[in-house]
Amino acid sequence: MKRAIPAVVSTAMALTLVLAGCGGEDEPVDPNAPVTITLAGWSLSSTPEFKTLADGFKATRPNVTVELKEYDAANYDTQMIADLAAGTAPDVYVLKNLRNFYTYQSGGQLLDVSEAGSALGSLPALAPYQVDGKTYAVPYRQDSWVLYYNKELFDKAKVAHPDGSWTWDDYVAAAKQLTAGLKGAGSTATGAYQHVWQSTAQGFALAQTPGADLLSGDLAYLKPYYQRSLDLQAAGAQPTFGTANTNKLSYQVQFGKQQSAMLLMGTWYVATLLNQRKSGEADTFEWGIAPAPQYDRSTAGTSATPVTFGDPTGMGINPKISKSKVAAAQAFLAYVAGEEAGKALAGIGITPARASDPITETLFALDGVPGDDLSKFAYGTHEIRPENPVSNHTAGMQNVLNDLHSAVMSDSKGLDEAITEAQARAKNEVLTQ
Amino acid sequence: MAATLTRLRPRRSRLVWRNTVAGWSFILPNFVGFALLTLVPVVALFYLAFTNWNVFGAAEWTGSANFRRMWGDASFWTALRNTFYYTVFHIPLTMAAALGLALLLNRKLRGVGFFRTAAFFPYITSIVAIAVVWNQLFSPEYGPVNAFLRAVGVDNPPGWTTSADWSMPAVIIVGTWREMGYYMLLFLAGLQTIPAQLYEAAKIDGATSWQRFRHVTIPGLRHTTFFVVVMLTIGSFKVFDLILVMTEGGPGQSTLVLSQYIYQKGFVENQFGYASAVSIVLFAICFGVTGIQFWINNRRES
Repeated sequence: MKRAIPAVVSTAMALTLVLAGCGGEDEPVDPNAPVTITLAGWSLSSTPEFKTLADGFKATRPNVTVELKEYDAANYDTQMIADLAAGTAPDVYVLKNLRNFYTYQSGGQLLDVSEAGSALGSLPALAPYQVDGKTYAVPYRQDSWVLYYNKELFDKAKVAHPDGSWTWDDYVAAAKQLTAGLKGAGSTATGAYQHVWQSTAQGFALAQTPGADLLSGDLAYLKPYYQRSLDLQAAGAQPTFGTANTNKLSYQVQFGKQQSAMLLMGTWYVATLLNQRKSGEADTFEWGIAPAPQYDRSTAGTSATPVTFGDPTGMGINPKISKSKVAAAQAFLAYVAGEEAGKALAGIGITPARASDPITETLFALDGVPGDDLSKFAYGTHEIRPENPVSNHTAGMQNVLNDLHSAVMSDSKGLDEAITEAQARAKNEVLTQ
Repeated sequence: MAATLTRLRPRRSRLVWRNTVAGWSFILPNFVGFALLTLVPVVALFYLAFTNWNVFGAAEWTGSANFRRMWGDASFWTALRNTFYYTVFHIPLTMAAALGLALLLNRKLRGVGFFRTAAFFPYITSIVAIAVVWNQLFSPEYGPVNAFLRAVGVDNPPGWTTSADWSMPAVIIVGTWREMGYYMLLFLAGLQTIPAQLYEAAKIDGATSWQRFRHVTIPGLRHTTFFVVVMLTIGSFKVFDLILVMTEGGPGQSTLVLSQYIYQKGFVENQFGYASAVSIVLFAICFGVTGIQFWINNRRES
């Protein structure tokens, strides 16, 4: 059945192309006439951001209604690609991460939105969406990876709290001290928890290592990051990859239920943690965020700008949108990437693409968010490099690297052997195709 | 005589025509669905395999480029090897387990209905739930499987789904466990068709129970066995869901099988042309192996 889908899609696409040829509307547009644009979202009941943006925009432009169309969160891109090819996709759709931006853009599935883009001024997260001087999507969220830590467990283990100056070696040392200290205090919690995703090692390695390039085919830059992870799991300072994988450990439980004192995770976890504290799924304890550990001292410390990674979440316009709605859709895009939408998103714990002091303050005013200076610094000051550089080879490279990740972290293969093999595969199967 | 025939012919052909139409109309609802959702896409697949279609835009004809690429694609060969690995072990193991269960549960036994149901249960259980539970059972450090192995004196129990060497055996075990109940049911049905007189006659002739099994049961089950082998072969070659939910092909590429490779290339990397070409190879393998099985079966029959 799986094999059947592309063909159905192509048949449907051919039909729509025939049908689309019959249309064509070129009537003058009244800017105040009521317009309804559709917007794709996922898991609407548990993901309030889409409704927040739709309602917020309605307040500024009462004649425009944004109607939400729900997709499955796990299969979002597959479903969206099928709908776009079939011509049934919503007017505005979300680009969950950068991995598939190339597919959409090169496939002609994104309208040129340079107009909305130029109204945004300087916004670092906009750059990945620009191709040949034109803008094809605008970012509305920009999560980045930070270090979450449990202050109470640090105190229990008698280990000094992070001060923002950590390199990875400091992080490893702290994780080991914490594990030993917690054990001494009669607790079974580990110093750190590394989630099973490939980005927990590879995202940092790519963003922080000078000269690292996913598409160069040279993957030696991964080595020190994996050595540290393997060291930590061999020392028992974090649950092993095997245990995390076979027992489907969830990072929310691991940190929220105080099983681990430190967790490297994206800023989206702030909203989750706040909600889970309210619902009782997470314990109530003193926590904080610190900048992610750094490659070397040059970017460490609160007087420097720490380097971390994260993909922006963007929105683009379906080129099949009817002409009478384009202006409203462009206005919506300008709104979602703007200051006002930023505050609305921060108000529900989400990190908007636009960084400004009022936005940071809105988020830190939420009940349960730590108030210390280091947390504010970690949240507001950083240089974010993309996890998925935009290229037609990115999806293929990430698949090769995912195999490397599971092989290395499960101790199935030696690190050097795995890197050599991944380089050979990258050259043979991805970069030359 | 000749006159009668000419009078009969139109009537008979009308009857044949009417029967054909009636027959077609019975299978039509199913056939329309099949044609629209399966047949047309499968035919399109044979065209797409020779193009570079990537979902958006036109499918450019690239001739045999996809197949030449496959020839030099190490991941494809890994996937093919793993598919054969799974198949070669999964078919005999499932057959043996299913037949064993069927023989065991074919006697008059108190509560036999309960045991038959129990054996069938894994087959109707959600595969995602199976994967989660088995993964926990196989957990290298805290799992009951390894706890048991340690208790009976195995010092270094395998890492199962977290080890490149043991992930495939783990998947095969779960695959066998899941499917043996279904094939047991087929064997049970087959066993009912063997006349009891044959067993009686064999007993009177002094045949031991092994001889009765060898010379009455096995030949009596030939048609069932053939059907089971064919279904198991096709099922094993296209194994997908179990692997996807249990190991996602990992660690590394140790459990990557062809259908998952097709999924990855097609739906993750949007290389639908290449994915279609790999699908054709999988189809050819299934077709070839099943053809050979039919040929062998026919030769034995005659």
